[in-house]
Amino acid sequence: MMNKTFMSFIVFVAGLLVFHNVVFPIFTPKEPGWILNRYVYYLAICAFLIIANIALRLKPPISLNALVVWMMGWYFYKYILYPPIPWTLFITYMMLWSIGTFLYISQDAETFREFRKPIVKTIVGDYKIARIVVFIALPCLVGWGTYQAIFPTFQEPVELRTVHPAPPATTKVHGKSYTLETARNPFRIDEQDNYKDSFPFLDVDKHEYMKNVTEGGTVFFENCHFCHGDQLNGLGMFSHVFNPTPANFIDPGTIAMLRESFLFWRVSKGGPGLPNESTPWSSAMPPWEEHLTTEEMWKVILFEYWYTGWHPRTFDTEESYVGQWEKEGKPAGAH
Amino acid sequence: MLGKQKRKYGALSFAMIMAFAIYSLSGFASDAFAKEAFAGQAFAEDAFAKEVHAQEAAEGEGEPEIEWSQDVFYKDWEGNPLKGPVSGPPAPDLDESDYNTYEFAPSRMILWIANQQHLYFGSFVLAVPIFCMIIEFVGIRTRESDPIMSEKYDRLAHDLMKVSLTAYSWTAILGGILLFTFITLYPGFFKYMAGIFRPVMHIYALMFLAESGVLYVYYYGWDKMKDDMFLKWIHCSLSVLLNLIGTVLMYLANSWATFMQAPGGIDEQGRFLGNIWHAIHSTLWNPVGVHRILGNIVFGGGIVGAYAAYHYLTAKTEEERAHYDWVCYVAMFIAIFGLIPLPFAGYWLMKEVYAFRQQMGITLMGGIMAWLFIIQAVMIGLLFFGANSYLHNGMSRVKGSHRYMKYAKYMILLLIICFTMWMTPHTIVMTPAELKAMGGAQHPIVGHFGVMSAKNTAVNLMITCTVLCFLLYQRSNKKINVPWATIGNCWIAAIFVGAAVNIIFLGVYGYFLPANQRVGLSVPQVTTTLTTLFAGTAINISMFKDSESYGEIQWGTQSKVGTYAIFLMAISFTWLMGLMGYIRSAVRLFWHVTEVVRDNSVDAYTLTIGEAGKMLTFNTLFVWTQFVVVFWIASLTAKKVKAEAPEGVPVPAQQQQ
Repeated sequence: MMNKTFMSFIVFVAGLLVFHNVVFPIFTPKEPGWILNRYVYYLAICAFLIIANIALRLKPPISLNALVVWMMGWYFYKYILYPPIPWTLFITYMMLWSIGTFLYISQDAETFREFRKPIVKTIVGDYKIARIVVFIALPCLVGWGTYQAIFPTFQEPVELRTVHPAPPATTKVHGKSYTLETARNPFRIDEQDNYKDSFPFLDVDKHEYMKNVTEGGTVFFENCHFCHGDQLNGLGMFSHVFNPTPANFIDPGTIAMLRESFLFWRVSKGGPGLPNESTPWSSAMPPWEEHLTTEEMWKVILFEYWYTGWHPRTFDTEESYVGQWEKEGKPAGAH
Repeated sequence: MLGKQKRKYGALSFAMIMAFAIYSLSGFASDAFAKEAFAGQAFAEDAFAKEVHAQEAAEGEGEPEIEWSQDVFYKDWEGNPLKGPVSGPPAPDLDESDYNTYEFAPSRMILWIANQQHLYFGSFVLAVPIFCMIIEFVGIRTRESDPIMSEKYDRLAHDLMKVSLTAYSWTAILGGILLFTFITLYPGFFKYMAGIFRPVMHIYALMFLAESGVLYVYYYGWDKMKDDMFLKWIHCSLSVLLNLIGTVLMYLANSWATFMQAPGGIDEQGRFLGNIWHAIHSTLWNPVGVHRILGNIVFGGGIVGAYAAYHYLTAKTEEERAHYDWVCYVAMFIAIFGLIPLPFAGYWLMKEVYAFRQQMGITLMGGIMAWLFIIQAVMIGLLFFGANSYLHNGMSRVKGSHRYMKYAKYMILLLIICFTMWMTPHTIVMTPAELKAMGGAQHPIVGHFGVMSAKNTAVNLMITCTVLCFLLYQRSNKKINVPWATIGNCWIAAIFVGAAVNIIFLGVYGYFLPANQRVGLSVPQVTTTLTTLFAGTAINISMFKDSESYGEIQWGTQSKVGTYAIFLMAISFTWLMGLMGYIRSAVRLFWHVTEVVRDNSVDAYTLTIGEAGKMLTFNTLFVWTQFVVVFWIASLTAKKVKAEAPEGVPVPAQQQQ
């Protein structure tokens, strides 16, 4: 039993070492390759561990299984997930993975007892060598941890930034006051002068609409693409010197989540116009109202949505609700 | 001939009834769907206002006697603000003299603690009668078929009510403390609120009186009304009445909180416009009410579960262990039953918040409160972990469960993957170096998990997984014998696989849709989840007909880990309730009443996440200390009678089909 457990442990450690040092570099060449490579590699290593255990008729105890599961989670978040995730997220994911491993070992009284067995034996006395190793290693680990914790380092501070600060109720641009709740892009109008909020609004046949989009695009490439990039992905030529980096409009979490009036407020007021919760130093964007006309700003916003294929956030309005009822002739007695 | 004639008339009258029903259906539907249920009244008021104005203009009296003003929230059919006669003074412009403080703590904190403690106890005493109603009803229904179980159910309901009785007085005392805190520390603001809600406050007090009356009759009449079937039904009806009054009480109190967050029935200056129903029935009133009812059930389940879990762990006899193990099961069953629809009620509430003020929604979900929602995600995930852990451990003590236990690890894996998605924040805390390494504020892969499409998918899959776990638990000791067993199993499998595919498809599809349509996708996702719940359970239970048992549940053998999971859930419920209450209330930022009464006290600041966390933890610990005291007081009256062991090991009705 012990031998088989030991064999299984060796298979895991040796397999991981070989895979990591020999196979991993093949799957991840220096030139960034196809991102799925990493996942294929990870599946291969998992398959190897399962097949090797079955082929050698090893039946590792649950404590070793738990260790393997936990380690494989760590390996995934550390090396497979790419580009690397921030430390805070890594901790969060590992915390979840640890809870998952605990749920796995404690799914019933039987597995939990089995898991505890080697720990109890180490403490109580059956595994003498293990006990000596553990009781020597533990103080060393604690000492090393303490050293790590108190040794002065010069890391940059982490930052908790508000991505979407709450907009004010109204904003004043070029002397005109806009209620952000109701302000709408004047160029997103159809032939009947209705604000167009149906999807998709990518109707290239509309000559007037495309003219506005093109003008917005011109303004964008004259002013904005240096930071936001010519693909609107936030990777413009100056983007790397900014913290935070300029917004990536392709991302489903940016303009796709917002109303056009929100963008209008952000574009016109820029970084200096942000509320307290987003300051200090949370956006280098200039207040564009000092450089662009109101029309130009609305057109740029039109272009940004057109180019990315996103649609601004809209809400079902009371008017459209009532309008629908009026069309159906209900409620009869209301008017 | 005559028969035919008769049938014809019968058909005719049936057709007429149907025609009338169809005719009225549209009316009912229109009533039900009308967002502005008081539009007719609104028009009448508006017309009346115009008439009065016209009359006054014609008479040339100059200043009108009644001043009319526009409502801040209510609108008529055309979208114009509703008008009402000004019936109260404008909102006060509070200054330092309108607030009182103590040296030892900021007024805001004192009020927070007073409020939260009252709310916790209020929730508990509202939840327990719901439990008792259900348990007593089940007891009555099983009286014929299983007198032993019926007696156990009845005893359990009675025991719970005893605890509730002590908690009830405690709640009233805490309510008094809260009231005094308001009056003494925030007199200016309280005066304004009392001016608007004066009649509601009186009705509230009277309802409290009614609640007490019914409660005492219900509790003290238990033994007298126990044996006679007619009286027993009357007694059970009293619990319905008790719950009705309790719900009204809660809704009345809710109206004050929802008015503060999203006011209605007043004009921009805060002047009352004469219609108290408008002030009560503001836009968040209904979603907050529904959310709280469900939350109370879950919270109550958690407390009763923890109470039973404690007794289970400290039980001296086998009978006691079996009894409390079973109580744990009943409490957890009710809690999970409330937990499943709870997120959907939360969505509704958030939707209404967004609809009321976009800024408020953004502050909550994307702005300074967003990180509190991440913490909320952790707590909710813990609840699902706890529930599944309890079910897995519970399943393992049932003979025959080995057939299903092997799937537990895959369910855990699914939960972890979903939880990873559910917990990935949209705004990641990181250093500038990490930001550069990642290539932007959002990660190209896990960044997609930061938005609602992914999170809805994750939570629906987690709920579906928990439902599956529950179905396996139900059938773990059953050997299915119905001839259509294979077909039934295929159906169950198809429902769950189909549901998972549909939920994931809708989640991915959401990325290709504009936001307003994407939000709508949560409806079919929820429908899918609920379908698995109802259809899956229905098919599962139907398959138990003529089933053989591998052996009855070994009550009293629940593992310790499973029992500790109950404590985890109870504490999570408590902490989560405090957290969400804080978020809902704190989103007003520096307003007492949003955009009407400004908070000009020195305490008008928003806490940091760490400070808020400390306060929430304090509130949780404080309330649990009180619960321990209340349970101890309730136990003082218990007769020291040795628990009577029923013949055989008791099995709850759910397990006996």
